[in-house]
Amino acid sequence: MASQEQQNHPESLSQDNCWVGLTSSPLEIQSVIDRVRSPQAGAIVLFAGTTRDSFEGKTVVDLRYEAYAPLALRSMLDIARKAKERHGLKGVAMVHRLGVVPVGEESILIAVSSPHRQAAWRAGEEALEECKARVEVWKREEFADGEGVWRANRDGQAGERIG
Amino acid sequence: MAPAPPPGHFHILYFAAAAQHTGKSLEPLPAPLPLRDLFDELERRYSGIRASVLDHSLVTVNLEYVDIQADEEAPEGERVVIQEGDEVAVIPPVSSG
Repeated sequence: MASQEQQNHPESLSQDNCWVGLTSSPLEIQSVIDRVRSPQAGAIVLFAGTTRDSFEGKTVVDLRYEAYAPLALRSMLDIARKAKERHGLKGVAMVHRLGVVPVGEESILIAVSSPHRQAAWRAGEEALEECKARVEVWKREEFADGEGVWRANRDGQAGERIG
Repeated sequence: MAPAPPPGHFHILYFAAAAQHTGKSLEPLPAPLPLRDLFDELERRYSGIRASVLDHSLVTVNLEYVDIQADEEAPEGERVVIQEGDEVAVIPPVSSG
């Protein structure tokens, strides 16, 4: 059953004004903002995560991401729905880019809308931190010296087991 | 992405460091297999994978996380057994964003 789900490879899920997606194309900021637009919202907060050209002083020449797509989408939707519930949001949209992402381009976009700005700021940050902690996406950094490393986000957060 | 496994097998998916260690992203393994024997089976096939990958990883069965440690301590009748057709995945520490 799960294999079938993966064969079909849905690239997005949506429910209750929450939309999540994975794509190998460049991310479109305007379309993510438009997904959370609402006449009841007084604020839209957008976070754009971009790929950096260094890690601890070493030059990164190339980054790529891979995902366990069906599970990553499910986790993203869960994070979005909980953020919406907790902060009384009008809409949540999050999309992660997969494959090679050139340095300086967006790898993740998160947009949230709410009646007032405070809730939107808080919800946006929370949703991002939760994504980084537990969405089943992995980043590989290729360094100028030829070494490549599968990066792990901060040790000790939920979704990770520390050896 | 993943076709159905051959009869009598389940599929195991490897991501990131796990794929790097095994040199593949997916393979069929014989079913049924008690969950508590999974890491031994993988270590037998890929020497060193336990220390370098599995000890830091989580495991899903059909898109649900399973707790291997709790399973090992559970009474015999309540232990998870991986079945034919299941989709198992090794989930190393994630790094989205």
